[in-house]
Amino acid sequence: MQSLGVISINLWQVLISLANLGILFLLVKKFLFQPVRNILAQRQAHVDQLYAEADEAKAKAEADQGLWAERMAGARAEADSLIADAREAARRTGDILLDEAKSRADGIVRQAEEEAELEKRRAEEEVRREMADLSTSLAGKLLGREISAEDHRALIDSFLDELDQQKGAL
Amino acid sequence: MNEKARSGRGADILLILMMVLPLVAAMALKILNTPASEGVVIEGAMVYFSANPNADLNAVISTDLIITDAQINSWLVMISITGLCLFLTRDLREKPVSARQHVAEWIVEKVEGLVSGNMGDFHVNSFAPFVCAVLALSAFSSLMSLIGVFAPTSDLSTVAGWAVLVFLIITAYKACCGPRIYVRSFTSDGPVVAVLNVISEVATPFSMAFRHYGNVMSGAVISVLVAAALKGLSSLVLGWLPGALGQIPLLQVGLPAILSIYFDIFSGALQAYIFAMLTMLYVGGGFPEEEYIARHSAAAAPKAAA
Repeated sequence: MQSLGVISINLWQVLISLANLGILFLLVKKFLFQPVRNILAQRQAHVDQLYAEADEAKAKAEADQGLWAERMAGARAEADSLIADAREAARRTGDILLDEAKSRADGIVRQAEEEAELEKRRAEEEVRREMADLSTSLAGKLLGREISAEDHRALIDSFLDELDQQKGAL
Repeated sequence: MNEKARSGRGADILLILMMVLPLVAAMALKILNTPASEGVVIEGAMVYFSANPNADLNAVISTDLIITDAQINSWLVMISITGLCLFLTRDLREKPVSARQHVAEWIVEKVEGLVSGNMGDFHVNSFAPFVCAVLALSAFSSLMSLIGVFAPTSDLSTVAGWAVLVFLIITAYKACCGPRIYVRSFTSDGPVVAVLNVISEVATPFSMAFRHYGNVMSGAVISVLVAAALKGLSSLVLGWLPGALGQIPLLQVGLPAILSIYFDIFSGALQAYIFAMLTMLYVGGGFPEEEYIARHSAAAAPKAAA
């Protein structure tokens, strides 16, 4: 088997070698770079999609949170107004009850006063009658004779009236 | 499921065979065709086929169609690399479950990072596979010497073919905005510099080819010389031992292995890296990116308006 010289160059070998590198370029591109780039692009697309979904979910959660905060604030205001209403109603009811009780108590007191006045007047009448009777019997005993009760009473009444007038004049 | 897993394992085994068998074939070819020789022999690629039987094989420049083990080994390496690509990218998942998918993605991302770092993001899509191919072909071709076969990169024609392709790409990128701008890239600094520019431009493929070829070939030459010297030293020192014992070159154990780590592995990988780096720098540096983008957008704008 013959050999070439150590330093030798052959046109055909140069061309073949040139073509070899070109062919290997195509092979490497087709069998290494294209599949790997495809899978990397696919992974990138998947990751992008996941990120987009996460962003979307986050935005939705934030919107929900805002909504709930609003709703909570609304509920609190509603509760506050309910409590205020109830307090107002209770206060009003209490006032009404108090007024009623006061007016009823006033009525009772007034009635009692009236009754007391009536009683007093009746007692005065009684006292007056007693005095008349007493004076009649005393006068009868003093005079020794019986004067008619009717006359006597009229007399005493006039006397008492006179007394009252004097008392009023004083 | 089980059926699927078994067929997947079968495909894996086929692809691993696709990676390993070419290397075994290269070794077998080398063993079958190496003549038993005495002494130090440093020669180029073995010629397996020649279209012209009377061709002068010792000519420095020849135009006869010949096939040498540089070509054969290149093709075998290409088959191996293709098998490796297929093996790495088999059964890709969106959520990676296999180590080889990580390796495949690591390779792609590293090469794309290298290209975008040296040439800018504009070239990543179109150029990353080419840089990856250059790196793989150059590195694995140099590493072929590890299994004892002829490394295609220590053949000048092979590396010259790559350098010519790179030169064509450089020129194509430089001239993509018309011949006027291509000429202006040389003459913009005056006539004297223009001559130097043209010389350096023409020198590019030569320098790339000879740099790569020279580094790998010199490593091989030094390895052979050291091995031969150690063999001589061994027979000198241990020759007094009786019988076959004196014939064993014991001193060859050790030092050639360390030299091989440097020349075959380190230098091979380094030259691949340098070749790819220079490719990127020349193409990226020669490409009038702003001009191209300006023209491209100017050409696209009326289309968009219409």
